[in-house]
Amino acid sequence: MPLCSLCTEPATVFQRHSGRHLCGTHFTAEVEQRVAGTIKNRNLIAAGDRVAVALSGGKDSTALLLILSRLLPCWQDVRLIAITIDEGIAGYREETVHSAEQLTRRLGIEHHCISFSEMFGDSLDTFLKGREQQACSICGILRKKGLVSGAHRIGATKLATGHNLDDEAQSVLMNVFRGDLSRLIRNSGVDSSGKFVPRIKPLSLVSEKEIAQYLILNEAWTELPECPYTRYAMRREVRSLLSGFEYRHPGTMLRLIESRQKIEGACKGSVISEPLQSCRGCGDPSSGEFCQVCLLRRSLGK
Amino acid sequence: MKLIVSSKDCRIFDHSPAPVEQILAEQGINPLEVIVSRNGRLIPEDTIVGADDEIRITRIAHGG
Repeated sequence: MPLCSLCTEPATVFQRHSGRHLCGTHFTAEVEQRVAGTIKNRNLIAAGDRVAVALSGGKDSTALLLILSRLLPCWQDVRLIAITIDEGIAGYREETVHSAEQLTRRLGIEHHCISFSEMFGDSLDTFLKGREQQACSICGILRKKGLVSGAHRIGATKLATGHNLDDEAQSVLMNVFRGDLSRLIRNSGVDSSGKFVPRIKPLSLVSEKEIAQYLILNEAWTELPECPYTRYAMRREVRSLLSGFEYRHPGTMLRLIESRQKIEGACKGSVISEPLQSCRGCGDPSSGEFCQVCLLRRSLGK
Repeated sequence: MKLIVSSKDCRIFDHSPAPVEQILAEQGINPLEVIVSRNGRLIPEDTIVGADDEIRITRIAHGG
């Protein structure tokens, strides 16, 4: 049985990127330090920030809230508030919402739950009848609206999401496959218009597997179902492809993300986005005459 | 050796001592997509396991 590289305890994790074996204690500390480093190096959180944490109740957002709550003493006057969006996906969302409620109660963190029914008049299951192939696109647009509204409602200065290293690398590959350069280099954390609550991704250098290991070692792991709409998503194929590559060629995901940063730097000023205007339907910032949510609602007859 | 993949998939087979990672790969399982435990404890994928071991794997559900 391998021993921890930093002490004499039995190792529970082997980190391929560092070549180290770590016990539960040292692995936990290393992950938390890595997240703290990401936050510090990218200036993600500042003194006085009200950070809305998008908490679905799944593993990534659970780890995000847990880690941020542990790092809280590092920042002055920073407050964490959890927001859960309930899309009304039967057989899936009820369990994760329950998990979110338990976690916020345990951590003593203010928690707001916003449902699709309350915001849009119906559940995602209803919206997706006959449109299952568009599940992730439709859900993503409406969920984002819910989070942004929730963040505004509570006066948040930052919106933190649990996107991990795998998610970020998959997004790079998907945008390359789609030939969508502007989306590839779009940085949702930076908004010169001041109209959006900046989004931050503190877990973006932590792999999905490390997140699961972190939760198990910190007794915060719950086996939850997978979203039933996952099978329709292009991301599922990309995930499988990338996972195989990462296993055979360690470091692939990190290099993909670094490539994006280089492309972003090289394209600075070359890719021009449409100036933001106010949506004619709801008044929210929009790149076109109507925002994505209003366009979607019209197509859904809502 | 007993490899518990899920409540419905339990594989029993003979195998000489080898790293868990190798056994998973031979069984068509990507070690990056699962968590491995032995006797209820997480173990690194380069741990050598033998004929008497019962290994449980937990698939990582996607979505955060």
